[in-house]
Amino acid sequence: MKTEVADEASSTAWDWIYRVSGYVLVQALIAVVCILLLRQSPPEPPARHRLTGAVLVDAAGERAVGLPHHYPSRFTLHDPPLYRMSFERPADAAGQAWSVFLPRFTNGVEVAVNGAVILDSRRDPDANRPDRNTPAIAAIPAPLLYDGANVLTVRLFVWEPLTGFLDRLYVGPDDALRPAYARRTSLFLTLPVVFSAWQAILSVILGIMWLKRRHEPAYGVLAAAMALGTAQAFVSTPVGQSLYAGLNAILIASAPLESAFVLVFLILFLGLRLPFHAVAVFFPGLLIVAVGLFGDPHLVRRVYLLLGPPTVGFCLAIIAVVIARAAVERRDVVGLFLGCAITIVMVCWIHDMLSVLNITSDRRIFLARLSYSALLVAIGAGLTWRFARALNEIDSFAGRMVGLVREAEDKLRASFAREEERARAAALAAERTRLMRDLHDGLGGQLVSIVALSERSGRDGAGIGEAARGALKDLRLVIDAMDDIGGDLMLALGAWRERIAAQLRPHGLALEWRALTPDGLPLHPELRPWHVIQILRLLDEAVTNAVKHAGARRITVSLQTIAREGGPGHGRITIEDDGRGFALLPDGEAAAGTPKSARGLANMRRRAARCGARLDLASGPAGTRVRLDLPEHFPDLEDAAG
Amino acid sequence: MTALIGEGRPDGAISVLLVEDDAPTRWRLHDALAGAPEFRVTTAATLAEARAALNGPAPQVLLTDLQLPDGHGVQLIRETRQRFPQTEIMVISILGDEESVISAIMVGATGYLLKDAFPTDIAATVRDLVAGHSPISASIARFIVRRTQGQPGRSPLPPLNTTKLTPREIDILWGIAKGFSYADIAGHLGLSRQTVPGHIKSIYRKLEVNTRGEAVFEALQQGLIRL
Repeated sequence: MKTEVADEASSTAWDWIYRVSGYVLVQALIAVVCILLLRQSPPEPPARHRLTGAVLVDAAGERAVGLPHHYPSRFTLHDPPLYRMSFERPADAAGQAWSVFLPRFTNGVEVAVNGAVILDSRRDPDANRPDRNTPAIAAIPAPLLYDGANVLTVRLFVWEPLTGFLDRLYVGPDDALRPAYARRTSLFLTLPVVFSAWQAILSVILGIMWLKRRHEPAYGVLAAAMALGTAQAFVSTPVGQSLYAGLNAILIASAPLESAFVLVFLILFLGLRLPFHAVAVFFPGLLIVAVGLFGDPHLVRRVYLLLGPPTVGFCLAIIAVVIARAAVERRDVVGLFLGCAITIVMVCWIHDMLSVLNITSDRRIFLARLSYSALLVAIGAGLTWRFARALNEIDSFAGRMVGLVREAEDKLRASFAREEERARAAALAAERTRLMRDLHDGLGGQLVSIVALSERSGRDGAGIGEAARGALKDLRLVIDAMDDIGGDLMLALGAWRERIAAQLRPHGLALEWRALTPDGLPLHPELRPWHVIQILRLLDEAVTNAVKHAGARRITVSLQTIAREGGPGHGRITIEDDGRGFALLPDGEAAAGTPKSARGLANMRRRAARCGARLDLASGPAGTRVRLDLPEHFPDLEDAAG
Repeated sequence: MTALIGEGRPDGAISVLLVEDDAPTRWRLHDALAGAPEFRVTTAATLAEARAALNGPAPQVLLTDLQLPDGHGVQLIRETRQRFPQTEIMVISILGDEESVISAIMVGATGYLLKDAFPTDIAATVRDLVAGHSPISASIARFIVRRTQGQPGRSPLPPLNTTKLTPREIDILWGIAKGFSYADIAGHLGLSRQTVPGHIKSIYRKLEVNTRGEAVFEALQQGLIRL
């Protein structure tokens, strides 16, 4: 037992290790792919138009530098450094349009050719955002260019929080430079706008979702994150920030706040318990906002540099851990999906940080924001996945509910039918009781008196007595037929047998009663009092014929169930006597000359037909046999069987 | 048989008290019994006359109608049952309907007699009763077995307690209800034919309400008087 438990524990541990290592392996693979992709150079024009060296002129003097160049100062708006370069324009290129292409710079440039300014990037709000890798291209007016050597100067304006950076420049025919510029524009400007639009849509959808489902705060949190992201992307600030200091502060602080929102959302989305101190992740962002609203722009940028990136990094790390745990524990597709997305974001963020800190000498292309969009796509896919699954569940639930409701309805209907049946039986019983009391006290008593009086008047009264006795017998038959016998015709026949036996005894006739099958006749839940009356009167008639017309000494009544293949079978009642019999016509009717019994036979046939039963007569010198085959199902209406 | 009949009587006759208010019927029943030599019949037309007759020696058999001019036969049956437990009691019924018969059985009757029965049958029935054989009709048996199936409320009256009946007794009642003879029932249940009538009497005794339970009796009487 102990070893079993130990085995189980160790197998669980091994399983756990397998799962964790599998997850880590997948993430490592994705990270490697990301790094390889990041090492790819962004789109560039042909190398022959490239300028790789420049003379840097600033307060420190004049010196030759290579491009790309990192300028260490964080603020150069008042005395920007000047990069002076020279390039040759071949004489045969005079007819061509020439341009200057600056793939990447932070934060602003003023480009002049042969002393004439052709571009000031500070006038373009998009270009002023260092987090976007905005390229710049400027056509050089043809009159400015000389054949042979030309001078190109670039003033680099830097404002906080980043240090200055100027990537290699390209000067050449516009045709050669424009494609690279276009590709960079679509990659670094258009694509973020597309993603921002996606964020805006997500924000609206999630906002509505949260409004309608307040008990699921996850949607509200993500909607807030998306709204912030959208605002950050579309609200641009002019260079003279002082007027919009507050707005600018919120804008700057949006990245830490947004990452905090995303962290909280993912915790809620994955159904984990949100610890109380998780609120702390919002503090850095809120602090930056506060400083931005009340402090001066320089302080804001300092504080942001101090708090912003660490907060984002911290949130990313926690998100990665949370998702990894959920993905490993639950093995769900959504978790794995989110895990891959967050790994991509992490790699890009680390790449950006290394670039900001000038640790890797690269082209200072920031990709974290772009890759963050990958995470948003993953979240959107995850939400849609979950939504679709919920819809499926609702569908199957609705299907189950429909089934249950139908079942309940059927039960209810059956119970109504039972109740109706019960009420009908109770009404019949009450009616019968009332009738019986009435007949008992009135008619019954008087008939008995007639019987008694007729007996006292000797032979003359015998006929009257017999008639009165017949009336009493009939009265008993009607009352008996109204009793609730639960569809068991045998119960009605039991009382009938008693009456017939009492009737036969004075005549010295014997009545034999036989059940040929153990249960006698089958049950008929649809049996109604009028069926019973018809059958009992028919049997009365048969017995009367045997006594009065056939002169029988012995009458045998047999009851049996005739089984049928694949059905309940039907009941059969046979009455046989040892009388003289009578002649039958070919059609089964009694021959002429016996008008009374003929009428009796016709009556019997009519009664049998009303109940859907079949009457079969056989008569010979040795006796008569009346066979009544009951239907499997008694007709509901009296005229149903004609 | 003769020893049993003659028990406790110097003249060997069975003393019968007949209570019936309808004169022709009373005469008829009296004649039917008086025609047989072993019966000594006393008649009464009212409850008061019957009570007066009961002040003398106890009759061996009481035959009574239920509707009497000055009271209900159920009262007379109950009184007789309490005063003379040895007396066999039969109710005289017009139709043999379960309502009157079961009411009588519940207060101590062990049989019923139809008013229009043939004279020979009347004498035979009383003779059988004294011998310990209670008569039962198919409709009475049917009424009792349907009550054992737990269908109260179908009929307003009477409130019958069938819990004391054994499965064998219920089987016998089923057989009777379906019209089988005692011989058939005995054969089917593996009994001796002679024991079946004894079972019937035992069934009647089990259905008798303990007359000390006044509440039940009152309810029964209330129901009957309301008729």
